Amino acid sequence: MFVLNNAWKTVIRNKGRNILIVLIVAIIAAAATIGLAIRNAAGTARETGLANTSVTATISVDRSKLMEQAREASSSSSSSDSSSSSTDAAPDFDSMRSALDDSNLTLADYQKYEKASSVPVSSYYSESTGVSGTDSFQPVETSTANAANSSDSSSSSSDSSSESSGSGSGSGQQGPGDGQGQGGQGGGPGNMMTSGDFTLTGFSSDTAIANASNGTFTMSSGEVFGYGEDDNGKVIISKTLADFNNLSVGDTITVTNPSDTSLTYTLTICGIYENTTSSNTNAMGPMGGTSQDADNAIYTSVSTLKSLGLDSDTTANDDNDDTTTQLNYTYVLSSADDYETFASDVKAAGLDDTYTVQSADVEQYESSLVPLDNLAKFALTLLIVVLVVGAVVLVVLNLFNIRERKYEVGVLTAIGVKKTKVAAQFVIELLIVTMCGIALGVAGGAVASVPVSNQLLASQVSAQESEASSQQQQFGRAADMGGGPGSEQQSDSSSSDSSSSSSSDSSSTDSNSDSDSNAGNAAQPSQQGGPGGMRQAVDYVSEINATVNLAVVGQLILIGLGLTLISALVGIVFVMRYEPLQILADRS
Amino acid sequence: MDTAVTATANTASTTNTTTAAKPALELEHVSYSYTKGGKRVLIDKNYVFRTGRVISITGPSGAGKTTLLSLLSGLTTPTKGRVLHNGEDLAKADRYRFRSHDIGVIFQSFNLLPALTVAENIILSMDASGKTFDQPKKEIAAELIEKVRLQPEYLNERILHLSGGEQQRVAIARALSYDPQIILADEPTGNLDLATQDDIMAIFKDLAHNEGKCVIIVTHSPEVAAQSDEVFQLAPLRER
Repeated sequence: MFVLNNAWKTVIRNKGRNILIVLIVAIIAAAATIGLAIRNAAGTARETGLANTSVTATISVDRSKLMEQAREASSSSSSSDSSSSSTDAAPDFDSMRSALDDSNLTLADYQKYEKASSVPVSSYYSESTGVSGTDSFQPVETSTANAANSSDSSSSSSDSSSESSGSGSGSGQQGPGDGQGQGGQGGGPGNMMTSGDFTLTGFSSDTAIANASNGTFTMSSGEVFGYGEDDNGKVIISKTLADFNNLSVGDTITVTNPSDTSLTYTLTICGIYENTTSSNTNAMGPMGGTSQDADNAIYTSVSTLKSLGLDSDTTANDDNDDTTTQLNYTYVLSSADDYETFASDVKAAGLDDTYTVQSADVEQYESSLVPLDNLAKFALTLLIVVLVVGAVVLVVLNLFNIRERKYEVGVLTAIGVKKTKVAAQFVIELLIVTMCGIALGVAGGAVASVPVSNQLLASQVSAQESEASSQQQQFGRAADMGGGPGSEQQSDSSSSDSSSSSSSDSSSTDSNSDSDSNAGNAAQPSQQGGPGGMRQAVDYVSEINATVNLAVVGQLILIGLGLTLISALVGIVFVMRYEPLQILADRS
Repeated sequence: MDTAVTATANTASTTNTTTAAKPALELEHVSYSYTKGGKRVLIDKNYVFRTGRVISITGPSGAGKTTLLSLLSGLTTPTKGRVLHNGEDLAKADRYRFRSHDIGVIFQSFNLLPALTVAENIILSMDASGKTFDQPKKEIAAELIEKVRLQPEYLNERILHLSGGEQQRVAIARALSYDPQIILADEPTGNLDLATQDDIMAIFKDLAHNEGKCVIIVTHSPEVAAQSDEVFQLAPLRER
């Protein structure tokens, strides 16, 4: 009590000096508050950013791992295939191809994994296949796209003529042979995931359509098909396609199987849609076929596809059919945490190591956090610098203060106040002052933290964006071009796409294995840049809620206590080393 | 008035010396040097300071008066021998408690805190002693201020604003404030005029003879020495 009283009285007595210390501490505390608030907010944003929004996940195959396994398997089973073992240097393309072929997950597999999840998960899927047009129903295409689509213009003209004569799409630019030829020649892109003039996509639900790779759309007339068997055969087509072929709701269209023109499918148009975000119209450039054009997309239900025998299970079992259907299965989870759980559950349920569970949402979110992470790092640096400087300043101030009060220490010890009490009094005095400073600083920091941190974040975001755009320029791309084939693309639809196309390659051309595998390999990256493959400019997190909460205040008080004790240490050491006898020499 | 006080003091002293003259502080073969193995300031001093007595310590400069004061007040411990307080070795006792509780020291330089007021300085010592008082501390301080012949308005005056003599009186008041058994004064009358000097001496004698305190005065002044009951003469050091 004596100590407290004395400390309080001394604090009141030395107003000027203490106000100075309060101000210094307040500045330190304000800076520390902002730093802590930013770190806190960044942490919270990271944790809660995806906690309440749904996360989509896909299962994709890890091809390099798959290849490795296939290689190991083939070398170990040398007795079974003498030719492959004897020429160890040459890759065993057949086994790799079959491995890639086998790597396709079936619908049943996907559903099995969905059931294996311990967290609530919903799902949707779409199946895409290529179909070819007939005389009466032609895809939307431009002559330039056609001309550039093949190596010379004469072949393009022959293409169009052959199409018009209805001799079949096999000779068209999308035929497997042709696609492979392009790949073989240029080693470049061009092997499309589907063949045919149109992409016929079956969706499992409205959600699936909403997430269609061609972007969002609105119905301009008619309505979307149902998903039951009653609505089998109903399709919706794009307005451009409808206008091109002069079709309206209720009309029927006939399309053929791209590999077998005798197989025709009759579909009823139940609606016409208009793409609102046609992000990737002709995104594939001239190498893209007409089926890649968003306008040539025909939407239907999976039930329709099944009834036509074009669903993925049927086509996968049918080895000779070039028309493979890609299955695009997406899981919807309620949060990022659930996503983590789901990923581990799926692994536990027996998903092979060659598959990875991916979430474009989570990846996108991670990259959107880059400026925030930078800001958090900056905040940490700020925090450390401020605290070190603050500690030094406080120690120095306290040192001078204590030296000045040597006489007081002498008097107090001479009249019998124990040194520990004197030291405690000095510590309490400092504590009172620093706590006032911290209170002021926290108040100031709380007011300033939101605008200051958003300002800092904005500069980080712009730095990040300019870095990205300069990189784009370095590679000669406009920022929104999405990059050419083979560039880093969102690969959320890669697994089924690529494997199915490579299997179509392999099945169609068994003879020319060398060039074929080259083409197949070269084709991989381009497939990942399929529809919707344009990497959208990352929408960086540009707002953080750096409000000061109780945790921050608590941390600050701890920091303040720490700083006070460090600086008080000087005083304590000084007092403890003081000999009461010295008072006799300290004549005022 | 003065004579009356002296008369009663004399009678009291005679009764005290006969009945309750128990030793408050004892020096037992005390030697002291400031540095280990250095020049010895005090050599083999023996003396018994009894309660109910006013004892003067006199001697020329450099005879070790201030050193003896610091030993008696427990600011330091002898290098040889013992200082006993009520029969206990001070070197082994809690000297902080001894200083705050049992002895009131009036330093030559007063050692008042200049930033504090008179009352605050007095109350600080009372607080430090840890004793409980049956009166409010402020009242005790006011009474003491009156006792040392200071105007009551001095109570709330800063020490800085006081003259040397006034500060000395405040220092005396502070030493008396927590009612210690021993009063130790270093030149307590050096800055005072004769009249006040007599007042102070009267107070000291009253404390010793009527309240049974042990009053030790370190002084140059022959008058003070003449007024005290005993004189402890420190001889100048022969050693070099």
